[in-house]
Amino acid sequence: MTEAIQLTNVSLLRRTQEEFSYDLKKTVLSFIEGKYRAPSKRLTLDQVDFTIGVGEKVGIIGANGSGKSTLLKVISGILQPSSGNVYVSGKIAPLIELGAGFDPDLSVRDNIIYYGVLLGFSRKEMKKKANSILDFAELEDYALAPVKSLSSGMVSRLGFAIATDVQPDILILDEVLSVGDQSFKDKCKQRIGKFWNANATVLLVSHDLVYIEQSCERAIWLDHGKVRFEGSASEAVNHYLNPVKENGSIV
Amino acid sequence: MDITFKNTLALLQAHRYWELIQVLVTRNLKGRYRGSFLGVYWSLLNPLVMTGLYTAIFGTAFSQYYDNSIPKYVLAVFTGLIILNFFSTSTMQGLSSVVGNGALLNKIRVPISIFPVSIVAANIFQFVVGALPLLVIVTLFTSGNILNVLALSFPLLGLIFLCMGVSFLVSALYVSFRDLPYFYELLVFALTIATPIFYPPEILPEKIRPLLLLNPLLPVIESIRQIALSGKLPDFTLIGNACIGGVVMLIIGWSFFRWKQSQFMDLL
Repeated sequence: MTEAIQLTNVSLLRRTQEEFSYDLKKTVLSFIEGKYRAPSKRLTLDQVDFTIGVGEKVGIIGANGSGKSTLLKVISGILQPSSGNVYVSGKIAPLIELGAGFDPDLSVRDNIIYYGVLLGFSRKEMKKKANSILDFAELEDYALAPVKSLSSGMVSRLGFAIATDVQPDILILDEVLSVGDQSFKDKCKQRIGKFWNANATVLLVSHDLVYIEQSCERAIWLDHGKVRFEGSASEAVNHYLNPVKENGSIV
Repeated sequence: MDITFKNTLALLQAHRYWELIQVLVTRNLKGRYRGSFLGVYWSLLNPLVMTGLYTAIFGTAFSQYYDNSIPKYVLAVFTGLIILNFFSTSTMQGLSSVVGNGALLNKIRVPISIFPVSIVAANIFQFVVGALPLLVIVTLFTSGNILNVLALSFPLLGLIFLCMGVSFLVSALYVSFRDLPYFYELLVFALTIATPIFYPPEILPEKIRPLLLLNPLLPVIESIRQIALSGKLPDFTLIGNACIGGVVMLIIGWSFFRWKQSQFMDLL
């Protein structure tokens, strides 16, 4: 098995939100008053260690705040781990909060080129692909309109169309299938299905456990930044659900 | 073989960096001018109006320091102002460039340094289209020597390095100190007054004059005035000072940016 993603002892320390000082005046004054404290840090990923082979479909489950999205960001290279190693081979399409990188004042066509280059394509490629992206997003009539004039559903459609125009080697899905209206949702599902069948490696974060069990071979259960269980999807879901039930709450 | 692989990788990264700068500069300029190319010339409005204002107020009083010539005073003020404007706009915009793109940095993997760099690049474009032709014409007119025109590029390069260094520094600081614009605006205003732009440095008292050496903009302005306005051949000492100041600031700013970079993502 050739690995697409390999994480070795990955840990990530992040500053806790409430310690943010964000203020030169306050920092200087607290130094003078001798009250300055170094910001405290929290371990959001703790010795995470796993390997995902090419073509595997892996689900990631866990409670809110267990580090699922952080893990995806580390794999996408958005966050650098504090220690450990991340190895990724191939082109990643991170479908994390689609459309967050658009410039609202630029036209839809300009944004296609801009966003595509941010995602790692060349300007030439993007100019060529602009029409097929507009076509897929069903936004041909809006090519010259600024993105701020689009509805939020249209913006997500555009984001999805750009990020998935090329077959990626690794597809990262963070609960994105809630994009647009029903007909577009079906279109997204179709396109993702195509990647799915074309031997793409897929990482899927979802709270929809049934969906994970159905569509993934393997699943990883994250709990407080640690891998609690790694194995077949149904086993992982069972393990995840059991302690939740024992604590008396129903999912 | 390992070395060739590393070389191609570096080349690919450099290419990606260049592509990113192009789209970011386009975005920046399009956002600023909304498709009208003439919009670039609005950037000349400020130095032209201010030159007129300074000349009306101080021209007669200070012309004795400029061979009793009002036109010479006008040109000295104008060259000083375009340099100061380049510095203040590029560093003020550079200051918010990292924080302003924080949402994007949380979604897509992009080299963080691209943002201050692209801001300075957009301002270079604007300068080259707007103020530089005027500066070249003045230089040709007073010196009649193409050598002087070419020599202009050295202090300008020093200015670019200086702005890049300051942008790196303040954009990194702004990530942790969100009240920085207030202090930085104050600093730029102080610099505007403390730089001999609309007054000759000769009017300063002897005791204060050494303090001018602390001003990183002064060597650039002195060198450009010498090349463009004196009509003499370029002075290499002045060029050297302008370039060294820029390089030193760039090294300081870049080192600070690199040092702080690992903390950015926690605060954006």
